[in-house]
Amino acid sequence: MWREAKSAAQGETPKGGRQTGNHLLVRSGELVCALPLGAVRRVVRALPVHPLPGAGPALRGLAEFAGEPLPVLDLSRLVGAPPGAQSSYPVTVVVWAGPVDARETVGLAADAALAVAEVSPGALVGGDGALVRGEAAIGGQVVRVLDLEALGRDR
Amino acid sequence: MTGGGYLLLRRGGSLWGIANSAVTDLARQGDGAYRIATAGDDPATLVADEVLGVVRELRVWPNVSVLRCFWPEPLAGLAVHDAMPVIVVDPGRPPQALQGRGGA
Repeated sequence: MWREAKSAAQGETPKGGRQTGNHLLVRSGELVCALPLGAVRRVVRALPVHPLPGAGPALRGLAEFAGEPLPVLDLSRLVGAPPGAQSSYPVTVVVWAGPVDARETVGLAADAALAVAEVSPGALVGGDGALVRGEAAIGGQVVRVLDLEALGRDR
Repeated sequence: MTGGGYLLLRRGGSLWGIANSAVTDLARQGDGAYRIATAGDDPATLVADEVLGVVRELRVWPNVSVLRCFWPEPLAGLAVHDAMPVIVVDPGRPPQALQGRGGA
């Protein structure tokens, strides 16, 4: 599963990933999140993160990725999920966040990349009108589907 | 202490850079910390746990909105040195972590 997800996410993908139904399923704490595949730049082993004094719990700190500084966020806290027993976050999912015409690279600390799955827009329920587009049942589990274009808007 | 480049500091587990031209004085205190005085319209005294030295050049990226959302400190930008992320300080608006009230 990990290899499938990794290879699917490795390519530099075109803009406008929000339109596609393909998502990368990522486990974070007790929750599975679905990230638009077009917004996923790379899945890597956890990047060394340097904390930022005074930062909120959702911001783990700064890392270096491909020679550039990269803010790394805690995916569990970002979506308000329980962190789970494991909090070492062995995986960093590097994504494009923000509007398509002003996207930024951000790291999401997570437990594992699981698989690529199709998410039908009609299957979504709920949502907060911001980062969480809604929840969908995929493979017998409830998955929180994220809109990464909303990440970085004023909170 | 004028000249080009950036003075690199460590504070609160992070690496910080400040334009060398903005630094007027650097002194080690009895507690082992460093005090860095800056020039400008609003001079400040910054605190660092460690001074790593001066780098001649630093490629500085503008701060990103995602980071501003979660950490609303004024910054001159972000950089990387020796595969380590560097927070580039705006000497006119130093972050709290360097003012002795945060970090460490």
